[in-house]
Amino acid sequence: MNFPAGRSSRSDVTPAQRAARDRVMLYIRGLDLPPAKGLRLAAESMEAAPSSPEEAMDALEKVLGEEGLLPGLPGERGQNIRSFPPLNRSVMVAEEMDRIPWRTSFFRFLRRWRRELFGREK
Amino acid sequence: MADKDRIPPWRHTGSRRRLLLLIIVLIPTVISANTMARLLPDRGSILLDTFLVAVFTTLFAWISVGFWTSIAGLVILLTKRDSFRVTRACDGLDLSIADPAARTAILIPIYNEDVKRVVAGLRTTFDSVRQTGSPDRFDFFLLSDTTDPDVWVEEEEAWYRFCKEEDAFGRVFYRKRTSNTKRKSGNVADFCRRWGKSYRYMAVFDADSIMSGETLVRLVQIMEARPDIGILQTPPKAVNRETLIARVQQFANHVYGPLLAAGLHFWQLGDAQYCGHNAILRVEPFIKHCELPRLPGKGPLSGDILSHDYVESALMCRAGYGIWLTYDLRGSWEETPPTLIDELKRDRRWCQGNLQHTRLLFTRGFFPAHRALFINGILSYGSALLWLAFLTVNSVQAISEVLFEPVYMPILRKFLPEMPVWRPHWAVSLLGSTTLLLFLPKFLGALPILLADFRARLYGGKIRLFFSILLEVALSMILTPIRMIFHSLFVISTLLGKSVGWGTQSRDDRGTTWREAFRAHWWGSLLGICWATVVYWIIPSFFWWITPITFSLGLSVPISVFTGRAAVGRFFRKAGLFLIPEEVERPPELVVLDENLSRPAPYTPFPFSRKQGFLRAVVDPLVHGLHTSLLLRFRRGAPSKERSREKIVEKALASGPDSLTRKEKTALLRAPHHLRELHRKVWRLGEDNSAARWGLVPPEDESS
Repeated sequence: MNFPAGRSSRSDVTPAQRAARDRVMLYIRGLDLPPAKGLRLAAESMEAAPSSPEEAMDALEKVLGEEGLLPGLPGERGQNIRSFPPLNRSVMVAEEMDRIPWRTSFFRFLRRWRRELFGREK
Repeated sequence: MADKDRIPPWRHTGSRRRLLLLIIVLIPTVISANTMARLLPDRGSILLDTFLVAVFTTLFAWISVGFWTSIAGLVILLTKRDSFRVTRACDGLDLSIADPAARTAILIPIYNEDVKRVVAGLRTTFDSVRQTGSPDRFDFFLLSDTTDPDVWVEEEEAWYRFCKEEDAFGRVFYRKRTSNTKRKSGNVADFCRRWGKSYRYMAVFDADSIMSGETLVRLVQIMEARPDIGILQTPPKAVNRETLIARVQQFANHVYGPLLAAGLHFWQLGDAQYCGHNAILRVEPFIKHCELPRLPGKGPLSGDILSHDYVESALMCRAGYGIWLTYDLRGSWEETPPTLIDELKRDRRWCQGNLQHTRLLFTRGFFPAHRALFINGILSYGSALLWLAFLTVNSVQAISEVLFEPVYMPILRKFLPEMPVWRPHWAVSLLGSTTLLLFLPKFLGALPILLADFRARLYGGKIRLFFSILLEVALSMILTPIRMIFHSLFVISTLLGKSVGWGTQSRDDRGTTWREAFRAHWWGSLLGICWATVVYWIIPSFFWWITPITFSLGLSVPISVFTGRAAVGRFFRKAGLFLIPEEVERPPELVVLDENLSRPAPYTPFPFSRKQGFLRAVVDPLVHGLHTSLLLRFRRGAPSKERSREKIVEKALASGPDSLTRKEKTALLRAPHHLRELHRKVWRLGEDNSAARWGLVPPEDESS
């Protein structure tokens, strides 16, 4: 393909530059910013003509930091998202589940049943 | 809470009804046991005969309870007279909750579930609640016990997206537990400890539960009107499955379920059982009285209580609160296991949980009705072992008749010989009465349907309804022997000390492959073939009696595959068989669920699947930011722990995400600083191969 004079051809871009550009663009797409803003930030970070993904990401990180768009860590810049409401603590203590001899249990059962059949109603 | 000296009226009625149940179960059982004893040929050993009669008596009584429960349910449904119906409390009320303090937390405990399905269900219930007059009375909690790091990240992202789309921040919450102590019951208890005091009620869901907003409001209204109720259980309807076995279960649940639910309500009244989901609970007494202890000792019958719902209802009742079943309330749904193997896996867990209740039978203060429920739960699986023993001993006795000479003079000084007498009319009447007990309730289930709409339109018409019942009976006869030997195995292995893990329940219609079926059923098939061969070889006349059992066992592999196929289920649906009302006239909630399930996936520029949660938490800046942000109060660990995390970061960078184990991924996901470091370093990877492992460039062979 012939390019008009003054326009750069593919051969002007080194693989490292291409990798840097693609990395920055992918990160910007990952942030899902509004298109104009995303492209502006990408362009700003590429102004220093980084020659590797590492340099490009350093530049992008700086730009994003200035815009307050860096993914936050707990405690930093108050960016925590709380996924649950404030605690309102209470205590749950395991119930006593002691057993009684089966014969006692049986007689109690009969007594209870008799009471339920013939006892006073509420 | 309850005045111990005075007895609520329902207890009087309940006791009388249970006495009646006891009488109508015991009298026919004694008559049948006597008939059975006389039918036996008197030539086997006395021990075998006694064993056979004892087992038969237990099983006959067991199936009689089910029969009379269905009859009681039928009477309630036909007469529509029930002075103890709890839904009376909300008759005539509009769809709102007056008291602003009557707040309900809807809890959705999840454990490595399909996130898309969970969020679709949440969105459905959320939408439905929003349409009631009191949406602000309900908060939603996704309580995660997930151990899979990929699913963890997927859950967080799905929760965040849901809240953003529905403007639900502050109403829908997500909590991930670090330790899974006491499994689901521990998960709910953890909620109670942290936020329980903020709510008067909690509605507990399963991951696949759906409840309509109207049903939830009605439940709250009943709880408000009846402060003596601790737990209100709805009878969830099984829906949404396509495989044959699941569709048959759904059909059975819709046709026979209402009878059973109404019948259970008739006997149990306020001593009903909590099923662990699709129910509403009063939080304060639950916190005070329903924390479960660990059962002391070693082995599968000790440790955490697995079938916690039975025990929680017994504890709630012991504290003086009633547990009621709202058998006439609609708008509560669940999904059944899609295949026979999935059903058996679930049964394995339930079996161990129910057998643990043998240790709780004589717990101080439990009500007799709850002890009976424990026995009922134990017999749900123990009866399989009894059936197997009954059939085996029958075969042994039949064989022994051929192999051993009959003794006509068992006592030497006896004047006349004892001749074996075969009384076919007794045998037929015994077989007939057992068949009646087993199958009549199934046909009776059609009566309320036909009385409501004689054409039975919602079941595909009355002819199709009849054929569906017939086919259901046939299929359950085929499946019962397979379930029987598995349940017997579960009981034996539990008693021998083999414990089960906590597996994820399969909730899709993927079906069973031949390999899976063979691996699960080979021994059952072998047992069936050997059993049939031995009986046929020695006593061919008995072979045909045992055929229904051995036939199913011998063919259990193809049966498992065939019944687990969605295509077969759909074929029956096209033929109008096993139809349920939800398939004919879809309720709005299930329509919304379908729409929610088909929502398009959100935008992502990265080439990996949404299910690769760990990878996304490292690479995707938005997911990474969300995850690290949600890790509240993170504290750096001991130096040794920090070093081990650094090593994991190095390993990840050198060999890619696939080189990490699940434990290593989880360790990194719990350490936001190391995750951040990995995120920064991954994005700076220059070498194409390393970057390709993280999805940042296409793999070399593709790009070249």
